[in-house]
Amino acid sequence: MSDDKMMIRVQGAAKRYLVGTVEVEVLRDINMGIREGEFVSVMGQSGSGKTTLMNLIGMLDSPSDGNIFIDGVDITGKSQKELVGLRRRTVGFVFQQFHLIPSLTAYENVALPLVFAGEKDQRAVTDALERVGLSHRREHKPAELSGGEQQRVAIARAIVMKPKILLADEPTGALDATTGSMIISLLRSMAGEMTVVMVTHNRELALHSDRIVNLKDGNIAE
Amino acid sequence: MHLHSLVLKDISRRKTKLLVAVLGVVVASAAIVAVVTTFSAATGSLYEESNNFGANIIVRPEVRTIPLVTGSTSMGSLFTGENYIEESEIANIYTIMHSSKLSVVAPRLYGVAELGNSSVVIMGVDPEQERNLKSWWNVKGNWISSEGLMHTEVMVGSDIATPMGLTEGSFITLRNGNTSIDARVTGVIESTGGSEDAYLILPLVASQHLLGREGKVSSLEVRALCNTCPVEEISMEIEEKFPGLEARSMSQIVRNELAMVEHTRSSAMAVSIITLLVSTLTVASTMLASVNEKLKEIGIMRAVGASDFQVVSMLFFEGAIIGAVGGIIGFIVGTIASSIAAPLLFQATPSPMWEILLPVTGICVLTGMLASVLPAKKALGIDPAEVLRSV
Repeated sequence: MSDDKMMIRVQGAAKRYLVGTVEVEVLRDINMGIREGEFVSVMGQSGSGKTTLMNLIGMLDSPSDGNIFIDGVDITGKSQKELVGLRRRTVGFVFQQFHLIPSLTAYENVALPLVFAGEKDQRAVTDALERVGLSHRREHKPAELSGGEQQRVAIARAIVMKPKILLADEPTGALDATTGSMIISLLRSMAGEMTVVMVTHNRELALHSDRIVNLKDGNIAE
Repeated sequence: MHLHSLVLKDISRRKTKLLVAVLGVVVASAAIVAVVTTFSAATGSLYEESNNFGANIIVRPEVRTIPLVTGSTSMGSLFTGENYIEESEIANIYTIMHSSKLSVVAPRLYGVAELGNSSVVIMGVDPEQERNLKSWWNVKGNWISSEGLMHTEVMVGSDIATPMGLTEGSFITLRNGNTSIDARVTGVIESTGGSEDAYLILPLVASQHLLGREGKVSSLEVRALCNTCPVEEISMEIEEKFPGLEARSMSQIVRNELAMVEHTRSSAMAVSIITLLVSTLTVASTMLASVNEKLKEIGIMRAVGASDFQVVSMLFFEGAIIGAVGGIIGFIVGTIASSIAAPLLFQATPSPMWEILLPVTGICVLTGMLASVLPAKKALGIDPAEVLRSV
């Protein structure tokens, strides 16, 4: 696979944390590539390093060793300021606990990335809400929305900047099976337009993706 | 939606918690405003009172005293020097540098005349200037006017009016050697406790004629308009400009009182500044608690694209809002407190000092921002990955 067809490329990445005085290696020599528009599920048991891998790809964390290329750009060693700019333009996040800001309406939550990017034209917010089918709930605050609706708002927030990569960390973990399926369908519909990487425990849901990457004890066990 | 509207929404959500921080600023701002307003009113009132003291500079002919000594025995002193000021020189006093500060220049001529079988001290004055200087005199009847010698008018001090049976409308004849003046008593000055109680006061021209001192005056009483003007400098300038004259400042008492007010003001201001420091700590601690509460939100914001600068700006803006609201409320509270305290402490009536509203609010805004430094540092240390993982 050549780099220009790869949206994400991880080369020999490792991540170690200090827990007290003990160094714990969470990820070891990870090598993988994800194509543009691909929908990939990352599976593994708790502590296998799924979320850490997601944070490395999402530029929320840096690898202790190795390199990560996003859309052909090596993000290793870039400054925090550069990473913030790159993250804004390239990555959208969806979390298990939705992580919406309670004091803001659905519309305002979705608008946040645009506000931080200094975008004055906020028509993309309406488009994103329409895309997740929540235009009619735009003025509602998170507490007034169901779990599924909150996660759809979170997805709208993740796609409002039209990112190249959508990272979803256990997006259905806090939802019932029916709502979870709806969310997966929504993510599935976005693959192609953007690269979708989803972390999940649920093999049934993972089967909706193009490919599954299994992590075991910090290593890829495909 | 803008970055600032995010902060305002957050403030409105947590207004009860932020009230403590605002109250801290209110206390500091109110203390500063109350101190400044109260002491400003006290100083103003003191100066106003000092104006009621009358003259604050007395100009006299310089008199030198030469001790007379024979061997080891003192024979007393010999006074030398001109005893009168030329009336024609009075106008020149307005040529000094601080002439705009001179509100009253009142000439006086003292002497002794015969009234019936008694001797009385007469004081010749410029009625118009004297009236400006002695505004607190209560005259039973009318003030004298500056009419000519044909219709001389006099006022009588309370100590001589009763024994001599003088009342408003009495006619008297004053004599000095071969010179005499017929005059009408226009009024009796109620006792002031001062030397004027024993004086007979008449227009300067009449006194000069009676005493045979045409064109002469004994002294000048000067009142300089003085809230900030340097009375001593004016006195020195008069002495330099008019060799042979001696100008004495009478502001010592006022200065002592002002020094006392100033000392009290400094102490009160020190307490206010300590209050401001305590308020900074209150705001800082409230905002630090607020950052701790908002760890997750800050983590989310950073994950969805907030830069370090934006996170810090939001916290500084929050601090500034707390400072501004606290500053304005504090101004109102301080002004009300001052309107209660000033009359009780200094018998002064303060007016709201609108001119300090902006500086005080500015100080409070800076305080709020300063208090945001530590919380901002903490916010910048938040690792979004860690925060989002742990919640």
